[in-house]
Amino acid sequence: MNTFPLLGTIVFLPLMGAFGALACRKNDLLCRRLSLAVMLTDLILVLSLFALAPQTADIPGTWLRVEDFSWMASLGVRFTLALDGISLILILLTTGLGAIAVLVSWNEITDHVSPFHFFLLSMMTGVLGVFLAMDVFLFYLFWELQAIPMFFLIGVWGHGNRIYATVKFALFTISGSLVMLLALLGLHLLHAHQSGETTFALHRLMQTSFTQPVELIFFAAFVLAFAIKIPLIPVHTWLPDAHTEAPTAGSVILAGLLLKTGVYALLRIAVPLFPHAAQTLSPLLLVLGLTGMFYAGWIALAQEDLKRLVAYSSISHMGLIVVGLAVWNVTTLSGSILQMINHGITTSALFILIGMLDERLHTRKLSELGGLWKTIPLWSGFFLFFSLASLGLPGLNNFIGEVLILVGTFTQRPGLAAVGFLGLLWTVIYSLRMLRESLWGEAENRPDIADLTRRELTILIPLCLGVFWLGLHPGPTLNIIGTALAGLDVTPELLAHTP
Amino acid sequence: MKPVLFLLLSFPLLGAVISALVGRYLSRRAVETIACTSVASAFVLALTAFFLSGQTVHSLTLARWFAAGSFQVNLDIYYDPLAAIMALMVTFVSSLVHLYSVGYMRHENDYTRYFCFLNLFVFAMLVIVMAGNLVFLYLGWETVGLCSYALIGFWYEKPEAAHAGTKAFIVTRLGDVAFGIAIALCWTALGQLSVTGIHEGASGLGATMAGIIGFFLLLAAIGKSAQIPLAVWLPDAMAGPTPVSALIHAATMVTAGVYLLMRFFPIIRGSAFLMVVIAVIGVITVCFGAVAALVQQDIKRILAYSTISQVGYMFLALGAGDVAGSMFHLISHAFFKSLLFLGAGCIIQALHEEQNIFRMGGLRHSMPHLFWLFLAGTAALGALPVTAGFFSKDRILLAVFLQPNLFYMLLWSVSVLAAAITPLYAFRLFFVVFYGDSHADTQPTSPAPIPPWMIRVLWPLAVLSVAAGLLNLPVNWFGNEWLVHYLAAVPGAAMELHASHRIETAMQLGSAVITIIMGGIAWIYFGGRTQPEDIFPEIFQTKWRPLFQNGFYLDRFYQSWIIAPYRAMARFLWHRVDTGWVDTGLNQGARFFLNLAEMLRLWTTGRISQYVSMTFTGFALILCSLILAWWVLPI
Repeated sequence: MNTFPLLGTIVFLPLMGAFGALACRKNDLLCRRLSLAVMLTDLILVLSLFALAPQTADIPGTWLRVEDFSWMASLGVRFTLALDGISLILILLTTGLGAIAVLVSWNEITDHVSPFHFFLLSMMTGVLGVFLAMDVFLFYLFWELQAIPMFFLIGVWGHGNRIYATVKFALFTISGSLVMLLALLGLHLLHAHQSGETTFALHRLMQTSFTQPVELIFFAAFVLAFAIKIPLIPVHTWLPDAHTEAPTAGSVILAGLLLKTGVYALLRIAVPLFPHAAQTLSPLLLVLGLTGMFYAGWIALAQEDLKRLVAYSSISHMGLIVVGLAVWNVTTLSGSILQMINHGITTSALFILIGMLDERLHTRKLSELGGLWKTIPLWSGFFLFFSLASLGLPGLNNFIGEVLILVGTFTQRPGLAAVGFLGLLWTVIYSLRMLRESLWGEAENRPDIADLTRRELTILIPLCLGVFWLGLHPGPTLNIIGTALAGLDVTPELLAHTP
Repeated sequence: MKPVLFLLLSFPLLGAVISALVGRYLSRRAVETIACTSVASAFVLALTAFFLSGQTVHSLTLARWFAAGSFQVNLDIYYDPLAAIMALMVTFVSSLVHLYSVGYMRHENDYTRYFCFLNLFVFAMLVIVMAGNLVFLYLGWETVGLCSYALIGFWYEKPEAAHAGTKAFIVTRLGDVAFGIAIALCWTALGQLSVTGIHEGASGLGATMAGIIGFFLLLAAIGKSAQIPLAVWLPDAMAGPTPVSALIHAATMVTAGVYLLMRFFPIIRGSAFLMVVIAVIGVITVCFGAVAALVQQDIKRILAYSTISQVGYMFLALGAGDVAGSMFHLISHAFFKSLLFLGAGCIIQALHEEQNIFRMGGLRHSMPHLFWLFLAGTAALGALPVTAGFFSKDRILLAVFLQPNLFYMLLWSVSVLAAAITPLYAFRLFFVVFYGDSHADTQPTSPAPIPPWMIRVLWPLAVLSVAAGLLNLPVNWFGNEWLVHYLAAVPGAAMELHASHRIETAMQLGSAVITIIMGGIAWIYFGGRTQPEDIFPEIFQTKWRPLFQNGFYLDRFYQSWIIAPYRAMARFLWHRVDTGWVDTGLNQGARFFLNLAEMLRLWTTGRISQYVSMTFTGFALILCSLILAWWVLPI
């Protein structure tokens, strides 16, 4: 069934680009252009997936494309990539934000340009791999590959307290993935013991049978790794520090993609592997998600640093996404997956805007802002727009996701969903405070600063269009997600069932 | 019909989009023309739709919006007489306010932003009016909130304006949360989100379920319509430009809550208890607003509290089951209140942004046209006989009076008391501003010139304030109650009051006498006054006046019992819980491993002799354990 390995190309193109970027040490501009070209090519390749006729003939279930190669045969590791609707829109987001991450670093990153792009692009390969890998060992490799470059991005190109932030990030991530690795190997051995087959293929491992305590322990180990990445309270504290100190591109990738890999892995790996444990522990996830939504939304109100504020708002939004996952019906899952894209767009845009502001004013403190509408109206217009999208204004993207999650939750757990609706109030309170203290009011002895440049508009306008597209006409996207979720009513296992 | 309704919605939206995208490249005149034309066209289209459709109900889908599983939402239109009459009113008042704004905002440089949001507001309001399902309605509902936020805070450099906008958004958002829950409830209980579906399903709901859904709809309405206990945002909303106050915070948006309850009245009336709750909230708000309006000194705040009070009457009417009466008052209120606000705008500009009525006076000489216009508005607000306000308020009082439940009799007597206060504060405002002498110290000898068309556009409103009673002229005035018959197609709307002519006439006579007497009292106290002080007894001045003037300290209550604790909690969660317990706890965990590593590091001393001895020790240990294992374990 293997024709041209298009998925493999999409995954490894950025890595090749990364070495290319490393090669052009001398010429910064060439390095930037090369990276941009690579990401745009990748984006075009992903778009071409939409046009390609899906290889449905010999692929069961909801898969659009599967590429399967033998790799480390003795260990049972295969190189399996598979694409369904959920992966498709997530890799579209990945390549799009990847290109944007290169663009936002154009002026911001001036030191060690070529290693910066090396790390940035190799991270893209990691993220793309996570969204496509169907072999759990391969998944683990990609999972690590996406984390390590971020360590350097924050540690080398970050702001003030970057070493503390990046070490914290690394410690959290590594502890999570170590636990996951142990569980992964345990699962592999258990399966080998039961069936006599050495494999890491997700759909084979799904047939392992467990006693309840064993399943719970395995599930908890995977969930810990994923919860740290999402991040779910109480293991979220690395995120505000990492965001605050990261360069803009780092924040974009972090908020837009890395957090999504946590949710995606929960959806694709953890729940299908351990469906019974997932069912048992879903109330816990639900409560953690809901609590996190209020907790982080509340803390966001007290923040002084704009980036830290948006970081906490991210935790709050991710909480709602986890709620949708924990409830697990077609409506909430569609909402959660759509909300991953929505959040990826709006929060990235907010971080980008804050980065642009930081380049001009060298401050992100709310107490030093105010009256920006008068000083830089265009920037302010975009900031207002994306804040409104983020607070769930109908007609813009986040609204659709929120409605689907909350209404879907309501049909099963009306009490908790009603509380969840109240979260909309928490969001609006910190968002409006942020707007009031940054945009409105008097601008006191502010130096003259330039409004958005053409390059910056090129970055923001596609994001803007994305917000409108997903807010006004989410039908096609929801169709793609819905097709992938089609088998879900029967059993969650189908979601990960490859041939 | 579909193209007409589609265009009716599109024109204002198109105006807003053009202003937003290319407004900065257009001349001022072009922006103004686009804004006014788009809304005026909407009015023409609303008129066309009104005449084309008659009393038929149109339910159609413009486009698909989103769907997941069985949950599907489209951009549906539901156009019935209720929507028709409301759309007509909204577009008519909006057109006049747009024309007026061209004059009022003539010195303002940021006119593009102003007209963009004003156009967007008209679009969103029309969505509320014509939406065919709850989610689409919610889109309009939130968007009017956004426009209100943006326009209250239009002069964003003033901290109080930015603050008032934020406050309005947050308080109304509290209602929106309830709206969201109502959507989820309807979906869960009825499997329906469309207006028609809800109307059909409403009868099958039990009283409890209808009461619960209705309760959340009511909460949403209370937020938007600034009723007790969420009335606090409206007086502050006066920080916005005066035409905005006229359109959004008097004539249209604040009545959206009432309209929501009318739209889903089949659910509301399913629960008799809920009806009583609505009526009680209405009556409390009526009194609250009237008493607070009586002692304000800022002309816009008087009108704002008056709006709160008048919208309370509409709630009261709904609580008495009289949808048509509520709609009648909604329309007549829209005319006279926008007239009063726009008139106040003229006064404020003529007196160089003065808003305190006790620094005005004698304006009947310097602004004679405005005098007559304002008189028409004041008479309608005070419900003087034969004005629109007289008929519409009387119908509400009659409907409450005719309720069989004795409790309604109590509500009726309280609302009659409040109705007596209304002409008092209305004429207090009027006499203080237009009679007496002008204050030479604070007031320029001749008012600043204002464009004559700002006065001219008020004439239609003045005529309607006086004559809109014809819409629903009672039978004993030889009318045929047109509005009641027109709304017959709306479920639960048309209520024949079945009052005997004797009662009706007696009631009208009674209220006519009361209003005239109260107007007279206002004349005695405020008619010829030159002193810029209120005349009230001493005890009132010291004890009650501050209470009324501050809106019963509702604001202060929220400030100290909700806002301050909320802020404190935010800081507590951040400093104590998040960076305190959680983060410190996790850091401690990390430090534990660090200390472990430090201990291990002590072994690396660098002395060869120690390493050699340690190697041998280790080797010996391994050997021992191997031997032991060989002996003990059966390998």
